[in-house]
Amino acid sequence: MSRRLEALLETVQRPARYTGGEVNAIQKDWAGRTTFCFAFPDTYEVAMSHLGMKVLYEAVNREDDLLCERAMMPWVDLLEGLKREGIPLFSLESRRALSDFDAVGFTLQYEMSYTNILTMLELGGIALRGAERGEEAPFVIAGGPCAFNPEPLAPFIDAFLLGDGETATSEMLRVIGGGRKQGLKREDILRKLAGVAGVYVPALYEPTYHEDGTLAAFTPLAPEVKTPVRKRMELDLDAAAFPEKTPLPFTEAVHDRIVLEIMRGCTRGCRFCQAGMLYRPVRERSPEKLLELAKGLFAATGYEEMSLSSLSTGDYSRLLELIGSLNACFQDSRVSLSLPSLRIDNQLQEALTDTAKVKKSGLTLAPEAGSQRLRDVINKGVTEEDLVRSVTEAFENGWSNVKLYFMIGLPTETDEDLLGIADLAKKVVACYFALPREKRAKGLKVVVSASTFVPKPFTPFQWAAQDSLDEIRRKQALLREALKIRGVTFNWHDPETSFLEACFARGDRRMADVLFRAYELGCRLDGWNEHFIYAAWLQAFADTGVDPAFYANRERGKKELLPWELADIGVTRGYLWREHERAQKGHITPDCRLGCEGCGLRRFEGVCLP
Amino acid sequence: MLVVYEKMGPHRFIGHLDLQRAMQRALRRAGLPVSYSQGFNPHLLLSFAAPLSVGIQGAREVMELPLTREMPEQEFLSRLNAVLPEGLKALAARALSDEAAPAMARLAAASYTLVPEDHLEELAAALPQFLAQAAIPYQKRTKSGERTEDLRPLVYNARVKDGALEALLAIRESGTAKPEQLLASLCEFAGLSLPRCLITRTALLDERLVPLENL
Repeated sequence: MSRRLEALLETVQRPARYTGGEVNAIQKDWAGRTTFCFAFPDTYEVAMSHLGMKVLYEAVNREDDLLCERAMMPWVDLLEGLKREGIPLFSLESRRALSDFDAVGFTLQYEMSYTNILTMLELGGIALRGAERGEEAPFVIAGGPCAFNPEPLAPFIDAFLLGDGETATSEMLRVIGGGRKQGLKREDILRKLAGVAGVYVPALYEPTYHEDGTLAAFTPLAPEVKTPVRKRMELDLDAAAFPEKTPLPFTEAVHDRIVLEIMRGCTRGCRFCQAGMLYRPVRERSPEKLLELAKGLFAATGYEEMSLSSLSTGDYSRLLELIGSLNACFQDSRVSLSLPSLRIDNQLQEALTDTAKVKKSGLTLAPEAGSQRLRDVINKGVTEEDLVRSVTEAFENGWSNVKLYFMIGLPTETDEDLLGIADLAKKVVACYFALPREKRAKGLKVVVSASTFVPKPFTPFQWAAQDSLDEIRRKQALLREALKIRGVTFNWHDPETSFLEACFARGDRRMADVLFRAYELGCRLDGWNEHFIYAAWLQAFADTGVDPAFYANRERGKKELLPWELADIGVTRGYLWREHERAQKGHITPDCRLGCEGCGLRRFEGVCLP
Repeated sequence: MLVVYEKMGPHRFIGHLDLQRAMQRALRRAGLPVSYSQGFNPHLLLSFAAPLSVGIQGAREVMELPLTREMPEQEFLSRLNAVLPEGLKALAARALSDEAAPAMARLAAASYTLVPEDHLEELAAALPQFLAQAAIPYQKRTKSGERTEDLRPLVYNARVKDGALEALLAIRESGTAKPEQLLASLCEFAGLSLPRCLITRTALLDERLVPLENL
């Protein structure tokens, strides 16, 4: 470590975030290898909680001709120190500047991290705009869920990967590294990247707009460019790369434990849920493979806790078998298994109490909407009876904390639906008091959280308008009053962040100008309340002449070309529109494991469930 | 088992709670016969003789843990070191009798070396007079505000040798002197600005000023 950097680290909070050298970190020799820096656009604690980074770190480092290092967004104290001292943002492994790598890759987990990407590029010594990058500059690539609407980041990212990255990342790196070794020009390498399945190179497309501001067309600028770009899929999760040794943070991460991804995809078809559409089809890892991975991860880390990760763990077909074998294997080494409590039914409960391995931290349920009518609109297949049964069972089993998650501003929502949230909360309280005093745990606590609905691309609600800020505030006030119930706490957030999320989630390339202007005005770490400056964002919209309501609060027509329709995620527009119409009528669509609903995945041979 | 370990180089930036967690996980990775507390959320029993401030290196730190069965010291040491990173290695292990008082209770003093980036000669020149003072008052920040304390009785010895300031300081329940405070007070006495300084705790000592591991 350089003396200057070391002196700087002596002055910042939690310096162990920046020193690297963790157990299981991989440091490879740079000679002859294509070098990749995985850049996480948030702080170390958030980054080290993220499974995707660990997966790709392993997948790339497994290849002899490639290497992958890590970099994260520094906290404000180091960020300002780096600027002051003229030290470039560096990777944790070799402590080289981001600009030294052949490629730098960002994961796009949420829209409010976009200003961090610009901050990290500038600190790392890389020109912000792809068009300004010289032959020596790294290729800046990006993936993750928000890459499915890449347009607001188009000027800053050279190539986006849509879909699963386990094998595609290495393919992209070989095109970049191989192209550089052959002495190809940057623009030729970009064209070759566009030939990799699942890759979108924004510089090779030109969007044009109608007079009313809606998108007219995406014109490919090179003959080899495809539209739409079909997402990448890893169809066999047992064969897909999964970390066998994860870097063990010295300073605690937000989620600091073994994480086993048991399943990818979801068949339930909730209409607000983007992940449920993006990650189709459903693919499971086998319990045998998971047990093997878990043993290896424990031996490599010594973690005390293990969690199962998926969109809907209760739907994993061999869940009881998996839990049984994990508990049997880890009882002696005191690894506790934590499960999302979303769908704990009686059978599962028995399996769990057998080994008493689940912490009674509280039951979390997500009815999402307060009335059956609105739950049908969003196709959340939960009824009031389900809820009453779940909480009653939970109270009988010694829980006294219940968290209920809702969204407000859902399409077709009325005040009656909102007041249904308070009714549900009252019913939960009543379930608790219905039990004899000696049978229930003390200290009832019901927490009702209401987030603001953000319509997302590739969902049946991708055409919907978001409620205006004033309307959201009115609804929050209504709920605040209605939820003044003994034993109930109401949590809500200022809606401004959700409004900006909505602008970026369904934004086009013109949102890039807003992003750049906001960055110039000092926006960064927008996901952290204490650093979010809403006034600066409003200024950025005003300065660039972009109307945020056009993106957030406008209902789109059936015929409108949407900026993200350059991607083919497998699910078709026709299916989404059908679901959109069923939503308006309040018609539910059953879980497609019970019968194919024709979402479009079956277009691809052998991809979907038989 | 009493374990002497180092916390050198970039590991000096690891905080005490983080270090505890790192050592507990290392012991688990090594598959050593560790003990756990009773109760609903059992935790691995491990105690540290003295926490070390973030930024300070430790050359011979001490931790102790009960084992569920006896184990040769050498085997314990090599299994633990197989899973510890460079700069955070175990240096010695001593099997303890059940009657041994905990290291934390035996601790009385610690020795340090301070390597300031500049002013070493001026500090060396000022040191005899600094130590000759009857009292060295300083402001100590506590949870309930600031109060004046006397550093002098807590400084057992200090000298400049081989380009470093070496100090033997009290570290006990009745009073603890921090090496950063010694440097700050000395600089103030000599009228010098506080230099950047690399501090290493070199040993943890008992009442006899003998290293804790020498039972």
